[in-house]
Amino acid sequence: MSYSFDFTGLEQGYDSLLEGLKVTVELTLAANLIGVTLGFVVALLVMSRISLIRTPVMLFIEFFRCTPAIIQIVWFFYCVPIMFDVYLDSVTMGVLALGLNLTAFNAEAYRAAIQSVPKEQHDAGIALGLSPFQRVIYIVLPHALRSALPVLITNGIGIFQQTALVAIVAIQDLMYQGKSLATTTYRPIETFTLIAVIYFAVSFPVAQLVQLIERRREVASR
Amino acid sequence: MNKSMSNLSSAKSFSATDSTNKSPTASTSGQALVKVSNLHKSYSPTIQVLKGLDLTMAAGERLVVIGPSGGGKSTLLRVMMGLEQIDSGSITFAGQPYITANDGKAKTKINLAVRQQIGMVFQHYTLFPHLTILQNLTLAPRKVRGESKASAEARGMALLTRFGLAAKAGAYPNQLSGGQKQRVAIARALMLDPKLMLFDEVTSALDPELVAEVEQVIMSLAEQGMPMMIVTHDMWFAKNIASRVVFCAGGVVVEEGPPDQIFNAPKHERTREFLDRVFHI
Amino acid sequence: MTYDFAVVLGYWEALLQGLEVTVELTLLCAALGSALGFVTSLARVSPVRFLRWISTLYVEFFRGTPVLIQLFWFFFCLPIILGSDISNFIAATVTLTLYTGAITSETFRASLKSIRPEEIDACIALGLPRLTQITNIVLPQALLRAIPTLLSNFVSLFKESALVSAVGMADLMFVGQNISSNIAKPVEVLTVVAVIYFVVAFPLTRAVTVIERKMLAKLAI
Repeated sequence: MSYSFDFTGLEQGYDSLLEGLKVTVELTLAANLIGVTLGFVVALLVMSRISLIRTPVMLFIEFFRCTPAIIQIVWFFYCVPIMFDVYLDSVTMGVLALGLNLTAFNAEAYRAAIQSVPKEQHDAGIALGLSPFQRVIYIVLPHALRSALPVLITNGIGIFQQTALVAIVAIQDLMYQGKSLATTTYRPIETFTLIAVIYFAVSFPVAQLVQLIERRREVASR
Repeated sequence: MNKSMSNLSSAKSFSATDSTNKSPTASTSGQALVKVSNLHKSYSPTIQVLKGLDLTMAAGERLVVIGPSGGGKSTLLRVMMGLEQIDSGSITFAGQPYITANDGKAKTKINLAVRQQIGMVFQHYTLFPHLTILQNLTLAPRKVRGESKASAEARGMALLTRFGLAAKAGAYPNQLSGGQKQRVAIARALMLDPKLMLFDEVTSALDPELVAEVEQVIMSLAEQGMPMMIVTHDMWFAKNIASRVVFCAGGVVVEEGPPDQIFNAPKHERTREFLDRVFHI
Repeated sequence: MTYDFAVVLGYWEALLQGLEVTVELTLLCAALGSALGFVTSLARVSPVRFLRWISTLYVEFFRGTPVLIQLFWFFFCLPIILGSDISNFIAATVTLTLYTGAITSETFRASLKSIRPEEIDACIALGLPRLTQITNIVLPQALLRAIPTLLSNFVSLFKESALVSAVGMADLMFVGQNISSNIAKPVEVLTVVAVIYFVVAFPLTRAVTVIERKMLAKLAI
């Protein structure tokens, strides 16, 4: 391989990359805010005894889980304005698409966690005279949050990586900035490698954190 | 309490060896099948499990090892099977060196030819879940000895028939009850014609109503003269099957003798304490 | 606002061709990727430190970066490094194979770890040679246990494959976007494309659940 790396040309782009990373992180945080909260509500709805509630919610979850994220994003960008006659700025649109995608995945994580709450805990809650709402807030939620935490974080970094897709609809995130820098500097190898390393530098420590949590749980449950 | 135990033990007598008129030391004078000398084993510098254990077993004996948890019973059996490294000491089998500790960092030396003559059944189910019952039985004879499929299957079916499990030959382990699984595990070990069988708490994971069927199989092996070393918490079973009982605590043999003596007139305070605790439920 | 979904019907042949490209790419990369993943999972538990190190780096890097950037990297950089043009098909295959290799290696690693230590004890007690332990006890169970997760890895691959449209490969996503902008009916066309993806992926995810339950029952002890 005779290629010689030259990162000097990239210096002019550092500011724009930093701007892009900021957008990426903002998208990630906002989508996670939606995913973590709405995901729990959706999980409760999908476990509802009323099929009129359960069925559409289930369809929502499965649809987001069984279609590519990229089509969800493109669909939001092109179809929401036409269908609902609303014109939101592109970042908001990106947050909505990614947030709903994450909501579907997190709802599954919560559902599994809620189902893992031992039946005895429910019985104890009833025996103590807690109302159904109180049982959800004081018994189910803390338990479910705790046991769903590793999956929620994993899904959270997953969405961090999926944010790169919004570059396709021209949101100026890290991926977008990187691609334009690669074009203007004619240095795609250096640029794309650098971008990849930045994404990796953010997700890797978080993934390690998940492993740490899981390992501690394993030890604790022994 | 002890009186009633003695009644139970006299309910059945074994033909293999007459344990009652054999003192523990007498068994060492004949041809020893197993001789364990000064066995030391630790899992970490602070956790010493065996602390210089000595034990001799004559051919045709049925040794039952009893004692408190953590006293080294199961570890002794695992070492006997060659599953554990040891720190020091040695084991001989039928006069041949079997397990020897290597000084320094080198691993414990295990004579593999001897190990093949020993079979073991474990507390946890160890049938291979992806193989049928018959395949579980024939795998080792075919792979270890190069026995033909037809011959191994014929012997396997004969054993299953003898254990009343012929109908289950094509089933998978998850289709069997716990008692059936352990009986298959015994049959699997017997396929290799062992000269010594090790039973490590084989009924303790079973529901109470399934214990008897497994114990009966072991009894029938005893009646045919199979030498065996048994670790069990079931004192009734211990008393009935043992030709000699070994009380093991703190990593050494505290006391050994015929079942009558150990259960009815234990000499050591620790043995008495242990038996009192076990029988005062 | 009314929608005219019938208009999409006129393009069913093009969409079908796109789906064919998507499915073929998925199958090809699933096969190559799981073979790579299996080898990688063995390398990750290898006694050779270098193999462990390089395989861990590979897996963590491909799991820790967006697939889109992996795809761009191979699409834009591989030609420079190789000094010759490569088709977008090659770039897509290389990327998705490496991606699948990384995620399936974790699947295989978990299934290798799930063999109970008691069974290895039993192997030793039966005197089974090391090679027999691996070929007759460890591998068959590890592969069986991996099946449900592998299948769900393949569903992820199927979805991620939509990214190849970004480098101009004429898969379902690409064809759909083209039709959508040509006839200016994004709602109808994009919805139909999404439904097509769903119709393929959803039954597979259901199958994962069913197979998982069967496998758990079969390998339960």
